[in-house]
Amino acid sequence: MPETTTDTSVSGENQTVTPELTATAEQAKTKKRDAARVDHVATRVQVEDVNLYYGNFHAVQGVTMTIEPNQVTALIGSSGCGKTTVLRCLNRMHELTPNARVEGKVLLDDHDIYAPDIDPVEVRRLVGMVFQAPNPFPTMSVYENVAAGLTLNRKGISKSQKDEIVERSLRGAHLWEEVKDRLDRPGSGLSGGQQQRLCIARAIAVEPQVVLMDEPCSALDPIATLAIEDLIEDLKTRYTIVIVTHNMQQAARASDVTAFFNLEATGKPGHLVEMGPTQKMFTTPEKKETEDYVSGRFG
Amino acid sequence: MPEPARLHYQDDLDNLEAHALGGLDLVIASLDRTLEAVEHQDIELSELVIADDDRIDGRYLEVHQEILTLLATQAPVATDLRLISALLHVMHSIERMGDQCVNISKVIPLTGHEAPVHEEMIEKILMMGRQARSMLSQAKKAFQGRDVELARDLVRQDDLIDDLNKECFQLAVQVGEDQDTREWAMTMMLVARAIERIGDNAVDIGEQVAFVVTGLFREFEDASHPATAGG
Repeated sequence: MPETTTDTSVSGENQTVTPELTATAEQAKTKKRDAARVDHVATRVQVEDVNLYYGNFHAVQGVTMTIEPNQVTALIGSSGCGKTTVLRCLNRMHELTPNARVEGKVLLDDHDIYAPDIDPVEVRRLVGMVFQAPNPFPTMSVYENVAAGLTLNRKGISKSQKDEIVERSLRGAHLWEEVKDRLDRPGSGLSGGQQQRLCIARAIAVEPQVVLMDEPCSALDPIATLAIEDLIEDLKTRYTIVIVTHNMQQAARASDVTAFFNLEATGKPGHLVEMGPTQKMFTTPEKKETEDYVSGRFG
Repeated sequence: MPEPARLHYQDDLDNLEAHALGGLDLVIASLDRTLEAVEHQDIELSELVIADDDRIDGRYLEVHQEILTLLATQAPVATDLRLISALLHVMHSIERMGDQCVNISKVIPLTGHEAPVHEEMIEKILMMGRQARSMLSQAKKAFQGRDVELARDLVRQDDLIDDLNKECFQLAVQVGEDQDTREWAMTMMLVARAIERIGDNAVDIGEQVAFVVTGLFREFEDASHPATAGG
């Protein structure tokens, strides 16, 4: 690969590079592109000094974080660090576990979801959840699965309104084209990936502000996983998304912001170690603990 | 404390770094021969340098493949990712420096069998070469030790080469009226230019050291905006 000696070009190797400026411009472009894709401004979630307990066991200690609207925030960390517990406190599901309790505040656009006058059922309508294993109602059809929440939440809704919402939700979950001719068949007859998208359609049918996902792809094959990740990218134009994942590459691919949880030792409470833009968390994390985890040195 | 994990991956990273930085030793050996060929007008030695550049190119291709494999199979992130990115840059610099030795070796026969050597100029060029060699060792040491200060010191070292290069230029301008001597001086300026580029490549490696350690890429010296560089 030798070059000729007559090549006196200077610009080739001494060109001016201002990578920080370039990076900033690139980030601005990305922000602008994302902003242009927001179809509906979703809700900001603020977690203020939250401590979570199972009976006497202090599971999560002093978490304060802001989850921005229309972004995907990934919660990562090793098993037992409390990330799923934190997720479940964002729609008051944590308290459904016997003896579980919450201290601190979780605000949805400045409204504390743990305030005494707040109805937890309404909280769970505003903050939907998708679980690890696809869990369509086994005896219900595809249509009924999507419409289930509507039947409970919006009594008196007309058939045509329901049809419209079911179609919109299935389209929103990238599933309509695959199931439009078998809406009356059991939801449990779909493939794993389709079932998970059906659950996402069910979650968004009640028009939530926030969608929580607890390892939504852990039971899916790689192709179905990528389909869900594409869907998540589209969903953030309407919703605030929080996803718990053990798959660090998924966090890197699918999220805008990553929060890393860890615990000092077994039996100690989990805590938030570091939270920041995903790109930064996976290239130049602030804390060595984060670095060791994302690069797979432990966990 | 959790048990350390990914030990084989760590071995692979360590081996990759050693293999890539070993390329600097190949360049140092090539530069040594090149300078000897310049000093003694040794055409046979210069041909050996040209032929032996295949080893440096081969090292570049091997490291490049190792990097692709690690990227594809291990999904490196954080410091690992920065290290791999830096090693790709370092290997490119190594390959370029090997080429500069080839460039010098190619012009040695052009100076003729009994070239009218200007002693002061040849001495300055050899000083440039020795300085470049020292910078290569320093760049390797800085990378291995993740020593940003030592890496940044390469700029100061490079200034010495740049000064000598300017002095060579003045000598070439004032070398006299003799046609053969002027041709020889012009050819030596090509040699000086190639050595000067080797110094720049050594600084580039130093910048990669800073990138691996800090995560920020900044040119130590910006030729276009000297007042704002150096960060």
